Amino acid sequence: MNRFIITVLAKDRPGIIALVTKVLYELECNLENVNQMILQDQFAGLFLVDAPADLTRDRLHADLDVQTQNSGLVIHVTSLDEKNGAPMGGTGDIFLITTIGPDQKGLVARFSAIIARYHANIINLKAVFKGGPDPRNNVMSYQIWVTPDLDTAAMFGDLRQKAEELGLDIRIQHKNIFDAINKI
Amino acid sequence: MFEDHEIITTIEMVKNEHLDVRAVTLGVSLFDCISHDLDRFKKNIRAKIIGHASELKSVCDQVGDKYGIQVVNKRISISPVALVGAAFSPDQMVEIAHELNDIAKTVDIDFIGGFSALVEKGMAAGDKALIAALPRALAETQRVCASVNVATTKAGINMDAVLLMAKAIKQAAALTADADGLACAKLCVFANIPEDMPFMAGAFLGVGVADAVINVGVSGPGVVKRAIERNLENGPLTLGAIAEVIKRTACKVTRVGELIGREVAANLGIRFGVVDLSLAPTPTVGDSIGEIFQALGLSHIGVPGSTAALAMLNDAVKKGGAFASSHVGGLSGAFIPVSEDLNIAHAAHQGFLSLEKLEALTSVCSVGLDMVPVPGDITEETLAGIIADEMAIGMINAKTTATRIIPVPGKKAGDSVYFGGLLGEARVMAVPHMEQTNAFVRHGGRIPAPIHSLKN
Repeated sequence: MNRFIITVLAKDRPGIIALVTKVLYELECNLENVNQMILQDQFAGLFLVDAPADLTRDRLHADLDVQTQNSGLVIHVTSLDEKNGAPMGGTGDIFLITTIGPDQKGLVARFSAIIARYHANIINLKAVFKGGPDPRNNVMSYQIWVTPDLDTAAMFGDLRQKAEELGLDIRIQHKNIFDAINKI
Repeated sequence: MFEDHEIITTIEMVKNEHLDVRAVTLGVSLFDCISHDLDRFKKNIRAKIIGHASELKSVCDQVGDKYGIQVVNKRISISPVALVGAAFSPDQMVEIAHELNDIAKTVDIDFIGGFSALVEKGMAAGDKALIAALPRALAETQRVCASVNVATTKAGINMDAVLLMAKAIKQAAALTADADGLACAKLCVFANIPEDMPFMAGAFLGVGVADAVINVGVSGPGVVKRAIERNLENGPLTLGAIAEVIKRTACKVTRVGELIGREVAANLGIRFGVVDLSLAPTPTVGDSIGEIFQALGLSHIGVPGSTAALAMLNDAVKKGGAFASSHVGGLSGAFIPVSEDLNIAHAAHQGFLSLEKLEALTSVCSVGLDMVPVPGDITEETLAGIIADEMAIGMINAKTTATRIIPVPGKKAGDSVYFGGLLGEARVMAVPHMEQTNAFVRHGGRIPAPIHSLKN
């Protein structure tokens, strides 16, 4: 296995994915997973590829740079072998922590500090603050990975206390309840 | 990963639309506790029930906290006391009720159901003793619930039992006259009673089920109402499309109940039984069946069109539940308890909902004349006639029906009654022609089972 993670950042416009995947196809790379998002007008994409055994990280990076020059893409290539640490695994649970309430400076920093203090891992974070009465426009949602050895009661207690201090409505729920309601 | 709308929708259902697990009910078989010695019997049932239920409340709270869904009531249902305590006299039956009440307090659960008898085809000694004990048993305890099944589609209607129950209801009301006849709020008379229902006051553990089982009752009228409103805000919908909205919503709510129930059962090391999705209201704005009728376009529950609307609602709830779980049981439909639903109580007070219309509604919904306060001077015969009418609807239509009628001592039609808590408050409903003599119910015997019961 010769696998790479390719990170692509750019101002969003049509054709970015087509451009990157064309190069990967020509290099005989197999796309294993792609994840992209758009924040405001910025595109961010992650491409997980399985490359031919003789394709080095430097050559892949160089070919991508050459083939996409003048397109405004910022590209970074990481060999999976170079990554530090093991992927998330083992036993554990995913909880969703959702706060609803108006924006304040340092919200994410304060909540993520508590989560980090208990060594829980944030695996997804979404935050939208547009103001107004619609809760959809004033929401932060953390999905965190919790291992059995973690003191969840203490962590959730600290998170609820912080939310109360900040005047936010907080909900902490195991992910399965969202699956039960939404994934039918 | 979840989309924003999936997260917000889930939170809204819990936070603003009153989605909760209405009851986790632990069923405990008491057949291995039987003894002719009362003290030994009481000791046996105490040990058996507490042995299974000591962790029930804490486990329900833990699981509810994990999922952010409150388990509102923790309850216990037991084998029918008329069967397991068949050897005892009425006074001894009352002692058993006190013991059950004390056990319920010990394990800190809301209600214990199963002070019950199954007499659709006749009454044995234990059945007669239990029915004779009902007034004192319910008046002297707080957490004991009772039910008597007097009819089935297979057996017909036991009219002797119907009249006895009318007498028991009147006596129970008289013994709790200072509380508006509150004892009657813990007593249901049934046709085709389910053996796995988690909801009170009719819950008991049937004879064909496991030694211990967890049944879950889920509610969510507020969730259904908001789903209808949200969809109608986007433009007109046909009734078929609205039924589809109700069905999908019921499916989601049922899945929540099964998730919670299975985890509670697993943590207690007890078999999971059924999930019962019954739209059961509370006396809270936004948690009302009556408000669903208004969301459907009717001015009040009880106006023309109400029976059709309830038929559609009940059916869609059943279909959604059946899609969500292979183990749906109990009643699974819509309840219309008058005092427990602010909106229904108001509709009755304003004259939109009469006793006769309520009876018509019960032909298409889950239960029957539920939490209906009637004048205290109603005669036993008239009360028996009302019960018999309701049982006939159940018997002929092969469905469950029940009555939970409270003859409120000293009060007339239109007077206010207050039961408190989930039991709510209402005005006494008028009973037309209640002063007429009723020799019909005094003939006794059994109304034969209908022809379509002959299926073997």
